[in-house]
Amino acid sequence: MFNLLTAEKIKLLRSKKVWIVLGLFVIIPIYQALESKSSSLKQVLETVVNGATGILMMEKNGFAILLIVSAFISFFIGEEFQNGTIRNVLSLGRSRTQYYLTKLAVASLLAVVGILIMTALGIVTYTSLHGFGEVAGIHDYFSYAFKAFGTLLLLILANVSIYVMISFQSKSSAVSLIWSFLYTIATGFGAGIFLQTEHFKFITFWFTEAFLFYSDFANPAEISLYPRMVLVSLLTIVISSTIGILLFKRTDIK
Amino acid sequence: MPETILKATNISKKYGKHNALHKVSIEIKRGMIYGLIGENGAGKSTFMRTVMGLITIDEGEIELFGETGITGLQRARRKMGQSIETPALYPDLTARENLRVQAANGGVSEREIDSLLRLMNLSHTGKKRTKNFSLGMRQRLAIACALVTNPEFLILDEPTNGLDPSGIVEMREIIQRLVTERGMTVLLSSHLLDELSQVATHYGILHDGKLIKELSQDELTNETRQYIELETSEVQTAVVVLNELGIRDYEVINGMEINIFERLDDVALINRSLVLAGVNVMRIGASRQKLEDYFLQLTEGSRHV
Repeated sequence: MFNLLTAEKIKLLRSKKVWIVLGLFVIIPIYQALESKSSSLKQVLETVVNGATGILMMEKNGFAILLIVSAFISFFIGEEFQNGTIRNVLSLGRSRTQYYLTKLAVASLLAVVGILIMTALGIVTYTSLHGFGEVAGIHDYFSYAFKAFGTLLLLILANVSIYVMISFQSKSSAVSLIWSFLYTIATGFGAGIFLQTEHFKFITFWFTEAFLFYSDFANPAEISLYPRMVLVSLLTIVISSTIGILLFKRTDIK
Repeated sequence: MPETILKATNISKKYGKHNALHKVSIEIKRGMIYGLIGENGAGKSTFMRTVMGLITIDEGEIELFGETGITGLQRARRKMGQSIETPALYPDLTARENLRVQAANGGVSEREIDSLLRLMNLSHTGKKRTKNFSLGMRQRLAIACALVTNPEFLILDEPTNGLDPSGIVEMREIIQRLVTERGMTVLLSSHLLDELSQVATHYGILHDGKLIKELSQDELTNETRQYIELETSEVQTAVVVLNELGIRDYEVINGMEINIFERLDDVALINRSLVLAGVNVMRIGASRQKLEDYFLQLTEGSRHV
């Protein structure tokens, strides 16, 4: 797998898409901070109001992050099928599980790097404009920040895992883009529909987007939900990767 | 006895109700250039993909370098290189970077890259991205990628597809050099028997997913018989003259042509006899049955079985 990761490194360093994605992760927090300069911010509405709440940049930009990451993954994996370059690897006797896990690892790594950049820049820019401040009701900030960041990151990585599965099944950048977008919309915004019902309400919170879009991570009352979010994220990663690998092993490569 | 590199036994693959491959058995020994020939859709690429492990088979067994089973075949495939159909390259990378990626995939060092670029006449490409390469350059680079892991067995699917005549000659020379200089075994495909005949040592003819004939270069030469081609406006009189000369193995093609399959050294005698009998000989000379005609004869024959 180390060999495959080395090959990915050569490709990624020359990939414009990687730099575009990282560029977006740089621009978004700076733009949002500058936009917030002249207004008085309310935490419930804006999520990030100062340097301390900058740790929640992932919550504030959940939808944007998912769209950016899903688009990158669709191209990153879809093009291997479209260019036929996947044949070069698999015909060398590399196991499909290794290949799948390499792609998952690289996609996750890029998402983590992007999110770290976005969060760090969010904290710095909001601190410089609004001061570091505090998260209301939180006494041990570092413990809170670690838990909130870790939980949000896992929620995003669970989606990365789903997008990787979709891309391996779609075998085309365009088709993968469409399905990933539909999945994000359906499980994110569609979850609101289930929330309105009494009997199906529980289904909502088995989808990671529901937590991303409908939870307030700065609300001390919701911190107790973090373990459940972590569980759902880990289950999503394990189940989607297992299904993805099993299906990929049965896929004929044209 | 040369080592068996590939032994495919009764390979079958179905797509829905269509038999892409039906009980295909092929054995390739070390040093062979095995040409797989068939029309488009005959199953050539499907067979190659099964060997490379890119598609699953419904029936049969594949043995590579004496290895079978999932793990054994994975190990054996490290000794193989391939270029199947269109050149599989990263369009935004240079030739060197494409080779570096494939070297990393194979877990081999990059020291062969310079010599491969020279071998494939790509040293001058520098920072040019492969998306700006001509088809011939991309074909050559795809083969270089296949070679960067030092394979012993090379699979090339229609390597001359889309190339101009000089590119075809160049590709043929490269394949022959790989066999003579590096001792490789090659499996290559084409839908043109004439083209394959200039490089292959053994042939397998696929038709509708079935292997309808296997033959060596010598056997192919024997099968594509030589004959005397005679063109005349008086076919009936010419036939009488041929009968008088004791010639029985001939074929009247149309109202103007006769192909004579015996007494190939007697062209002058036949010509003189025809002229003396008042036959207007428009053209006469030794010829060889065209390979494409032979191929069509085989595939048409199998269609009527």
